[in-house]
Amino acid sequence: MATIRTRNRSREMLLRFAAYLTILVALILTLFPVYWIAANSFKFDIDIFAVPPEWLPRNPTLKHYDEAFVQRPFLRYALNSFLVAIGTTAISVTFGTMAGYALARFRYPWQWRKQISFWILSTRMMPPIVSIIPLYLFFNYFDMLNTKSALIIAYTAFNLPFATWMMKSYFQDLPVELEEAAIVDGDTRWGAFLHVALPLARPGLAATAIFCLIISWNEFLLSLIVTLTEQSQTLPIGIAGRVTQYATYWGEISAAGFMACVPIVIFAFIVQKHLVRGLSLGAVKG
Amino acid sequence: MLKSEKGTAASLRLGRGMEQWSERHLRYLMLAPTVVILLALTIFPSIYMFYAAVHRVSPNPDLPWTFVGVDNFARLLTDGQFQVALRNTVVFTVVAVSIEFLLGLGLALLLDKFIRRLTFLKTVLMIPMMLPPIAVAITWKLIYEPQFGVLNEIMFRLGLPIQAWAGDVNLAMFSIIVADVWQWTPFIFLLMLAGLASLPVEPYEAAALDGASSWRQFWDLTIPFLKPVIAIALLLRVMDALRLFDLVFILTGGGPADRTKVLSLYIYQVAYRFADPGYAAAISLFVLFVTIVLSTWFMKRMRLAE
Repeated sequence: MATIRTRNRSREMLLRFAAYLTILVALILTLFPVYWIAANSFKFDIDIFAVPPEWLPRNPTLKHYDEAFVQRPFLRYALNSFLVAIGTTAISVTFGTMAGYALARFRYPWQWRKQISFWILSTRMMPPIVSIIPLYLFFNYFDMLNTKSALIIAYTAFNLPFATWMMKSYFQDLPVELEEAAIVDGDTRWGAFLHVALPLARPGLAATAIFCLIISWNEFLLSLIVTLTEQSQTLPIGIAGRVTQYATYWGEISAAGFMACVPIVIFAFIVQKHLVRGLSLGAVKG
Repeated sequence: MLKSEKGTAASLRLGRGMEQWSERHLRYLMLAPTVVILLALTIFPSIYMFYAAVHRVSPNPDLPWTFVGVDNFARLLTDGQFQVALRNTVVFTVVAVSIEFLLGLGLALLLDKFIRRLTFLKTVLMIPMMLPPIAVAITWKLIYEPQFGVLNEIMFRLGLPIQAWAGDVNLAMFSIIVADVWQWTPFIFLLMLAGLASLPVEPYEAAALDGASSWRQFWDLTIPFLKPVIAIALLLRVMDALRLFDLVFILTGGGPADRTKVLSLYIYQVAYRFADPGYAAAISLFVLFVTIVLSTWFMKRMRLAE
C-alpha cells in the first residue's frame, strides 16, 4: 500500500515537473519572436546586422521610431488603420447586434432562422482573395479606390457576420424571462431589447467590438488591393512596402511592426475571458 | 399619455399605426440591415465574378470585355502553375493544421490541470494568434535571415549546417509552416482547453471504478466528448489555411521556384501582375466552390447552424 502511494506521488511529481517545464518552454517559444522584433527596433542598423546577434540591445536608440513615425508616414498609416477599424466596428456591431438578437429570439416561418444563420456564417467563411476581383472592379467603377470608405465597406463584409454570430450567442445565454417581464409591464418588444437585453449583453458587446477592431486592424490583403496612396493605406501595407526586392528596412519595419502589435496585446488582455468564444465565432463558450 | 393627448387625432393615429406596424414586423426589421448589407457584399460580387470569368477582362476599365465562354475554366486544366499552387495549398493546409492540432491537443491534455486557473498565463500564450499576420511575417523573416538571423546562429552553435530557410528550395514551405504553427497552435490549444474544462466528471469516475486505463478513458470518453470542439477548431483552421496569403507574401513571395506559391498568391499574381482579372475570377470561383463544399459539409455534419 505504502509503495503504491509513493509511486503514485512520485508519478504525480514527475507529471507536474513535466507540465511546468512544458509551460516554460512554450512561454519562451511564444515570447521570443515578439521580444526579438521589439529588441531589434531599438538597435542601430549596424547592431541589427551583427554576427553573432546581439541578444540585448547594447546601445538602445529610438532612431527607427523617428524614421518610421516622424520622417516616413507610418503615423498616417496607423491613423488610417485606426479610422477604418472604428468605422467597420461601428457598422458591424450596430447591425450585427440587432440581427444577432433577432436570430436568438424571434421565430420565423419556414426555418428561416436556421437558413439565414447558416448563410450569414457561410459569408464569414468566404476567403477574401475570392472577393478581391469584384471588389476591385466595383471600387474602380465608382471611383472609390484609395479611400477609407472602400476599406470600411470591404471589411464589413467579414466583420458583420462575425458580430452577428457573436451577439447571437451572447443573447442566447440571457434568460428570456426578464424581457417577458418588461413586456408584461408595458414595454414594447423593441423596448425590451433596448432596455433589458442590451444592457445585460454589454460585456459581450464590448468583447465583440474589440474583436472587430482587432480583425480590421490586422487585415492585409484587401487593403493591398484597394489602396495605393499614403492617404488611404493601412499600417500592414506600410510595413510590407518597406520590404522591397532590393532592400528590407529592418529597423523601420521592426519599429512599425512592434507598434502594430502593442494595441493588440492590450486588447487581448481586455477580452481574455471572451477569447474562446470570439475565436470560435460564438460556437464554443469558454 | 399626456403627450399623446396634445397631438391631433390624425397624427396620433398615424404615429400609432407606424409604431404598431414596426412592432409587428420587428423580427424582420432587426434582421433586414444585416441581410441587405451582406447580400450586397456577397451576392453582387459573386454574380459579377461569374460574369468576369466568362470574359477576357482588360484591367483598363475603358476597354470592352470580350466574351470567351468557358475558356478561362478550361485553362485551369492545363495551367501547370495553377496545379502547383493547388498542390502547395493542399500540402500547407494538411501539414500545418495537423501539426497545430496534435501540438495544441497534446499541450492542452498535459497542461489542463495545471493551467486551468492561470488565466494570465493562458492569455500570454494566446498572444501570437492575435498579432497582425504582417508583423508575424516580418518577425519570422528576421529570424530566418540567412546572414544575421537568430536561427542560423542557433544552428551554428549546435554545430549544424546553416540554411537559407525561406530562401531554400527544400525548406521554404517548411519555414512558412513553422511560422504558421507558431501563430496558430495557441488557437487549437485554447479551444481544446475550453473543451476539456467542460467535460463531465461522472463518466470518468465510473470508468475509474471499472478499472479503465487512462488510455482507454482518453479514447472512449475524452475524444468523443471533445468531438464538437475539435470539429469547430479544425473547420476554422482549415478555412484559414486555405486563404494563406500574408506570410507567403512577405517571407517568400511564392518562391523559390514556386515552392510556396499558394492559391491566394497565384490569384493575386494573375489579377495584378499578369493583368488577367477574367482568369483570376475563374480561379477564385474554383476556390470559392471548394470552400463552400468543405464548410457546408463540415457545418452540416456538426449542425453548427442550430
